[in-house]
Amino acid sequence: MKITRAGAVLVAAVAAVTLAACGSGFNSGGGKQESKKPLTVLIGSSGAAETTAVKQAVADWSKKSGIKATVQAASDLNQQLAQGFSSGKPADVFYLSTDALAGYASNGSIYAYGDKLANKDDFYPSLVKSFTYDGKLQCAPKDFSTLQLIINTDAWSKAGLTEADYPTTWDQLTAVAKKLTTGTQTGLVIGGEYARVGAFMTEAGGNLMNADSTKATADSAANLKALQYVQDNLKAGDFKYAADVGAGWGGEAFGKQLGAMTIEGNWITGSQQNDYPDVKYKVVPLPKGPAGAGTLQFTNCWGIAADSKNKSGAVDLVKALTSKSDQLAFSKAFGVMPSIQSAAGEWKKEFPNLAPFLEAASYAKGVPAAKGSADVVSDFNAQVAKLTTADPKTILSSTQKNLEALLK
Amino acid sequence: MTVTTPTELAEGAALVGGATRPARPLRTREHWTPGRIAGQAVVYVILVAIAVLYIFPFLIDVATSFKTEPDAAAHPLSLIPQVWTTAAYEKLFLNSDFPVWFKNSLIVTLLVTAGRVFFDSLAGYALSRLRFRGRNVVFALVVAVMAVPNVVLMLPKFLVINQLGIYDSYTGMILPLLTDAAGVFIMKNFFESIPVSVEEQARIDGAGTFRIFWSVVLPMAMPALITIIILSFQGSWNELEHFIISTQDPSLTTLTKGVAMLSNGQLSQGTQYPLKLAAGAIMTIPVAIVFFIFQRRIVNQSTGAVKE
Amino acid sequence: MTAATMPTRRSRGRSGRGITRGQAAAGWLFTAPVLVILGLFLLVPVLMALWVSVSDWTGRGSPISGDVHFIGAQNYGQVLWAGGLAEQDFGVALRNNLWYVLLVVPTQTIVALFLATMVNRRLLRLRGAFRTAYYFPSVTSSVAITVLWLFLFSTSGAINAVIGWFGVKGPNWFNDPDGIFHFGAQSGPRFLTGHTILGVSWWDWIGGPSVAMFAFVLLAVFTTSGTFMLLFLAALQNLSGDVEEAAMVDGANGRQRFFRVTLPQLKPTLFTVITLGLIGCWQVFDQIYTGTRGAPSKTTLTPAYLSYQAAFEGNQWGQGAAIAFILFAIIIIFTLIQRWVLAERAVSKRRMRWITDYQRTAARSGTGAAR
Repeated sequence: MKITRAGAVLVAAVAAVTLAACGSGFNSGGGKQESKKPLTVLIGSSGAAETTAVKQAVADWSKKSGIKATVQAASDLNQQLAQGFSSGKPADVFYLSTDALAGYASNGSIYAYGDKLANKDDFYPSLVKSFTYDGKLQCAPKDFSTLQLIINTDAWSKAGLTEADYPTTWDQLTAVAKKLTTGTQTGLVIGGEYARVGAFMTEAGGNLMNADSTKATADSAANLKALQYVQDNLKAGDFKYAADVGAGWGGEAFGKQLGAMTIEGNWITGSQQNDYPDVKYKVVPLPKGPAGAGTLQFTNCWGIAADSKNKSGAVDLVKALTSKSDQLAFSKAFGVMPSIQSAAGEWKKEFPNLAPFLEAASYAKGVPAAKGSADVVSDFNAQVAKLTTADPKTILSSTQKNLEALLK
Repeated sequence: MTVTTPTELAEGAALVGGATRPARPLRTREHWTPGRIAGQAVVYVILVAIAVLYIFPFLIDVATSFKTEPDAAAHPLSLIPQVWTTAAYEKLFLNSDFPVWFKNSLIVTLLVTAGRVFFDSLAGYALSRLRFRGRNVVFALVVAVMAVPNVVLMLPKFLVINQLGIYDSYTGMILPLLTDAAGVFIMKNFFESIPVSVEEQARIDGAGTFRIFWSVVLPMAMPALITIIILSFQGSWNELEHFIISTQDPSLTTLTKGVAMLSNGQLSQGTQYPLKLAAGAIMTIPVAIVFFIFQRRIVNQSTGAVKE
Repeated sequence: MTAATMPTRRSRGRSGRGITRGQAAAGWLFTAPVLVILGLFLLVPVLMALWVSVSDWTGRGSPISGDVHFIGAQNYGQVLWAGGLAEQDFGVALRNNLWYVLLVVPTQTIVALFLATMVNRRLLRLRGAFRTAYYFPSVTSSVAITVLWLFLFSTSGAINAVIGWFGVKGPNWFNDPDGIFHFGAQSGPRFLTGHTILGVSWWDWIGGPSVAMFAFVLLAVFTTSGTFMLLFLAALQNLSGDVEEAAMVDGANGRQRFFRVTLPQLKPTLFTVITLGLIGCWQVFDQIYTGTRGAPSKTTLTPAYLSYQAAFEGNQWGQGAAIAFILFAIIIIFTLIQRWVLAERAVSKRRMRWITDYQRTAARSGTGAAR
């Protein structure tokens, strides 16, 4: 066909148009005086309470600093961050999870401002560790949460149990779960995922990775012991996963009284208050395992984009948002725990019944933070969801293999 | 459901065909024996049963949107709410971004539909009537493009939209959807079925190419244009993937994207089925209207020929 | 027959060169908008993604800047043969989607054909109403229908309520990761669990779609059968009635007439419907994005969603692009296989003889003549 020449011209023309437009999409942050440029704050909100509280805090800061700032509640934080970074138009300040940190820190997407924080030493050391990459604190820990045991007190007394029976060992947990299991209610209902089952691993002295996320420790004997313990109880019917009783998560199962106990974090107070105000509950520390006390902790930090047009303003905003007064306001609004040690006393005074959550700060372990670990954890979750019939050893060894692949 | 799919092409062809060609007329005389009547009754029972199966879910959708949450969970099949409530709609319209989503969907859909009707017919006319070097190449390109699955293009399209600097803008949302290969194809085929003689007189009178296209040929292509309108409206109103990858600003969220986020729980806690189903019901209405308005013409034309 | 096969009449160049030149300019002008847009947003993206799929771009800055390097087939390797999590995820997604295709394509084709023949019956009143009812699910947004489906198939939803009438407890649809062909068995024999393809054991490959994925299969049949019914309907209305009437005169019953006369004549449409079904089924994305995002236990993960997830959620742009191209290849391969199978076998010689015989009878007896 003689038409190929025309085709070539066409392709060339299209390519020329594309190339001519290059650069307009990927402009890097300019370097001139920009301390008054407006900021955008992208948050992964748990609901209206959180969004309102953050908006309020940011508005207060705007008034003081004179820098305009808008808060955006992300519909899908991970996707929006990824698209923002690759389009060169990221939000200036955003929630950043531990497992996303390494990826963005390694490709230079985020601005490591940790050393500019005056109150750096006030943050809990374990949180600082979670957000340290390449030896530098990348971002300020926003707040944190831990897991503990939540008990339905009515079901508890109905089963003839007293405060003296709060379980402190795995055997005791099994025993009370058995007593609490009735026709419609299971003793302990938890989410079938690492973020809940993992608590047992830490009690046995294990975890998926070491504290720095530099070594995979999934196939340890401690983890095997933990999974076997959970499996035995699932098989006996004293423990159940939330999905298996038709609930979306442990809190829902607990609120709907499908489970007499659950393992959840401090966020449960909000949902209990709003959705199931009639269910009375008590928070107690998780029972000690073979290696003593253990639980998981979760945290986010306030990330700042390297492409931000107003980094100094952003850092200033983060300083305000991590201050004692702002953090305590957030606690009141949506139940998180302050990331700074100096706020602990007031927090406990404010929420005496939630004290076990904060006390866990000294022994709680973080979740894996190596680059790509989120995928491995979700694969672990997919397997652990079928724990009743799966082989714990196989689960752990495949997870070990996947984690080791990340560290190569 | 994506925009430029071969499915639409075939669907379009079927719609055009249904619109232009009368159904086969009845030739043999049937005898009404009791057995035949019973057989006919069975046919109707089957047809009605299937129709119920296809329509009932939508009735449940609308009914549930007026229920309270516990009612929805307790009586999933009931079409009458225990307690009528418009709480879901109030929340959608007064306390959420839903109106913004609706507005964005409307803007995008109207512009895309207008653009496609114009550009597709323009190109279809050129490809069927105008003789120019490279016409075959152009046509080959249009056909080749139809073969590329839409989902495969998600990530690549983001890269280009980004590179062009139209990410996160109406331009980025609308421009890439403004023409579609299937539409060009449908128009080209239709124009080829119109006799050339209708243009001759206009040409002798000295009318320009565009004039001939615009005032002589285009008005004759109504059935095909209606098909393009139906498919474009439906396609762009229901489009999801393109809006996921072309925007991040909440003020540019469309209905599909917004409701999808509402559904997978990122904007809400708990199940909230009445709310989600209300959103789904509202987003179905405009497509349904367009479909019924234009479908009527087509249905009438094809059934009208069957005299009983 | 569709509009595509209508007779073509072109204006032959009776006029002089001036008009031809004018036509050339107009031709390019008229097609320019379509060319620019299709080129920019279909052709260029494919080339750019092809580059990303063989590069180490991390999602920061432009993929065509100097910092991005060519890394050969590494991204493809991660997905296809590196033995890591990416390969396993791709294997799982492929398994899920393969079962989806195997169940949806035949079912939607049969249902659509059945609906079309029912609606196409003579002497049917309310034909338009029935047609509209069956077609309606096809025009509504996949997002809205998925939301509806999540409700209908929830633990205490309408479907389980109906199942409950028969005294059976319905499954926990969208939370049930068990393969439907495992029939509740939780572990398979050693020779099946011991071997893997793409990181997925044989046992899991043969397990069928999960209960959750099966709910999506039903959704697909619900939403696509109307569209395909329309295609069959258009084809049925264009069939020559002569052959069928001759068969009727000959005493062939309804079923014989359908399988021996009507169906073979529908072959081109059947071919189109199956091709479109295959292409569509390999692209499941909207439902997964709106509904389950791959859960439970990754059993509703599809290659299309995985590609999106790898790029937009996991920042593995190269892998995401590689998956997209592998998916493209899969679609092409399946279409070719189907083309080959149907071309060879759809109409056997014996059946063809049936048709020609009837055509001859029809011509002789004169029933075919128009009145």
